[in-house]
Amino acid sequence: MGQADTNLYQSVDLKDIEVRAEAAATFISAKSATFVNTISKKELKKAACCNLSESFETNPSIDVSFTDAVTGTKQIMLFGLAGKYAHIQTELTPLVRGLLSNSGLSFIPGAWIESIQLTKGIGSALNGHESITGQINVELLKPDEMANDALGPDAEGRGDILLNSYVNQGGRMEGNIAMGTNLNDQWSVGMLGHLSGRNIANDRNQDGFMDMPLGNQANVMLRAKYWGTNGLEGLFTLHGLTDEKRGGQGGSLFDSSPINQPWSNAINQDRLAFTAKTGWVSPNHNDLSIGVINHWYSQGLNGHFGSDADLLNKRTFNHTQQGGLTQVLVRAEVLEGQLYQTSGMVFNIDAYDMNQGRNGQGEYSGSWTETNLGAYSEWTYTPLESFTAVGGLRLDQHSIAGLQWSPRMHLRYAPTKLQTIRLSAGRGFRMALPMVESLGRLASNRNLTYAAYGNLMGGDMTTFESAWNAGASYVYNFTYEYMPGSIAADAHWTVFDHAIVHDYWMPGQHMVYQESTYNGSPAKQSNSLGVTLNYKLNKSTDMRLAYRNQITEAKYMDNPSGETMAQLPFVAKHRGMASLSKAIKGGWELDAAAQFYGPQSLPFGGWGAPTAFGSEQSPAFTLLSGQVRKAWKGGDIYLGIENALDVRQPNPISGAKDLAGNVLAADHADFTSSFDAIRIYGPIFGRNLYMGLNLIF
Amino acid sequence: MNKLSNLLFAILMMASLQSFGQRKVEIRFEVDGVCGMCETRIEKALLETPGVWAAEWDVESHEVFVVYKPKKVSEMDLHRAVAAVGHDTQKVKAKSDDYDALNGCCKYKDEDVVNNHK
Repeated sequence: MGQADTNLYQSVDLKDIEVRAEAAATFISAKSATFVNTISKKELKKAACCNLSESFETNPSIDVSFTDAVTGTKQIMLFGLAGKYAHIQTELTPLVRGLLSNSGLSFIPGAWIESIQLTKGIGSALNGHESITGQINVELLKPDEMANDALGPDAEGRGDILLNSYVNQGGRMEGNIAMGTNLNDQWSVGMLGHLSGRNIANDRNQDGFMDMPLGNQANVMLRAKYWGTNGLEGLFTLHGLTDEKRGGQGGSLFDSSPINQPWSNAINQDRLAFTAKTGWVSPNHNDLSIGVINHWYSQGLNGHFGSDADLLNKRTFNHTQQGGLTQVLVRAEVLEGQLYQTSGMVFNIDAYDMNQGRNGQGEYSGSWTETNLGAYSEWTYTPLESFTAVGGLRLDQHSIAGLQWSPRMHLRYAPTKLQTIRLSAGRGFRMALPMVESLGRLASNRNLTYAAYGNLMGGDMTTFESAWNAGASYVYNFTYEYMPGSIAADAHWTVFDHAIVHDYWMPGQHMVYQESTYNGSPAKQSNSLGVTLNYKLNKSTDMRLAYRNQITEAKYMDNPSGETMAQLPFVAKHRGMASLSKAIKGGWELDAAAQFYGPQSLPFGGWGAPTAFGSEQSPAFTLLSGQVRKAWKGGDIYLGIENALDVRQPNPISGAKDLAGNVLAADHADFTSSFDAIRIYGPIFGRNLYMGLNLIF
Repeated sequence: MNKLSNLLFAILMMASLQSFGQRKVEIRFEVDGVCGMCETRIEKALLETPGVWAAEWDVESHEVFVVYKPKKVSEMDLHRAVAAVGHDTQKVKAKSDDYDALNGCCKYKDEDVVNNHK
């Protein structure tokens, strides 16, 4: 089964969904040629909260970074590389992209998610050219599932309304609703709703800055699904959201001597999108099908970083993006049971209007339109039960990058029923928006410079990124003491020809530039090796142990002597994870997990003389979390703790306080000369208790 | 703090591993039933019996495979546990009340139901 099945037609094949509901919490399909890790609703329930970024906290392949105090959004990393290099899609359409690439993960509430397919290594040629380290596709609840029985493993076919509510010690409150109804045999309609907010300020480390931003989000999706008897299927979605965040110095909230013009930041985002996915399966030939995806959106991002008392260091931004895509896929069997192909075309368009200001005046403004016309074909050959080869090629005519080719290859060989070996290789490219993708890095008085080639806001070849990825994996399924287990090992290499580099190594500087490969030295690279052991200890206890080693390096300007490959900051070379899950009679479930973070390379904290690359390292630390859940027929209730040992990074924000521990105002000389909130390697807030409730009506 | 977390985790693991040591016995016997729902019910009844390590019922052969610890549970207890949820075994017949409580599609003594599953 190729990627085509997990994607386009999965959303219209009810049988697949039923199988998944009974499957293990995470599983790797033995038949798929790609290293696809499916994360089911069962696994999602083990993560504390609340949205897509946090859904990966129990997954050993993905790092969820620590939120900075300012943007409050968690980023993910795959193989030690930023999440932007993993092609993230919701039902094969872009959401975490463009202006929403920084916080888009927080716009997919966990309660809406049906399942996640995580592909490690290069993705399918069918789904776009942007996949480099992997591909993440999120399937949301469909109207007919909501109307029928898929609202949860505990639903037992009852109910068509799911209510979810969540509250944590940090003051975050959240309410979700998922409901659906069948209108007739053909049509079902549904709604997914989400309201959340944090309106209580916290400052546990007493540095005058809120540990997490305040904010509110409203997010609604209206869906309709058509299921015809003539082979026609359709899924139509209208999505609207608005989100605002306010962070920075709390001023009078904490301080008896209030700061008049505190350092603050605001980030406002909104989106309106419409998606129509239609499919036709030939009633005469089950092996012939056509799919059409239409997706159109308008989204905005605006706000500011800084204080009116220090306009020189205050940045404002106001960006908009309108765009969409039209895609056609045709799948047909060529040789019965052995060879099939999926081919098609896609047209993408994105119109950007970008404005960034500093010191009360425009620093950069520009608008441009990117278009892309892509054609692709993927062939899946299965001559034997034990062997699959998938070869894909796509050609993209991009208005800025020109003609680009992206070959993709996946091989699978199963020497025995219990073992699977996979190999993959391919190329991908993307156009970066450096200032949007690293929005939180504006929370600093570092001098922002775009070295060498102008502005690097986006829209020309100075923001072009391309890379090759190759991977190998081995999965061994075993039975020991009558209980099933598996060992999975994988190695992945990513080598960038062109990459955007954010350079924080020079004191007081934040330089952004594009590096390219020459003299055999790549612009950026990552070598990653991971091992995961899953084992059922007894009839009610599951265990997972995982270790990952990741070496990620980029080429940095090392003035004046030239360039140096150095470890990317904020990436732990060693990562470990252990988790236990125990079911107890009467609907109780206990989960416990430990996450180990090895030392991370840190950019210079001071404004003093630079030292050698990577000489400053964060301490290693371990985070513990636990959760108790009690389920009954009408829902479940859960209570949990994150970061149980209250591990916290000391002094996360440089320049926030003077030596005596007093909070400094944003226009204080010591603040303006050294304010820097980007050096975040660990938790700021610390221990966090939470409670949640799911009700099915 | 790291040491403490490692220690806590080790204790959790030990608690789960200590049950490996005890002697286990395999057994197979026939249990009447017709469908996947029956399978779930039969296996659940066995797994919820203390001393049962693993249980698997096959819908084709009507045979259940059980691994249990004879120190904690006897063979007859296994038969009783299955009969108590409405399924006849080689050695223990289900009470008619328990059989009647079965879902309509699981009535394995009804020829129509059996034929429907063929």
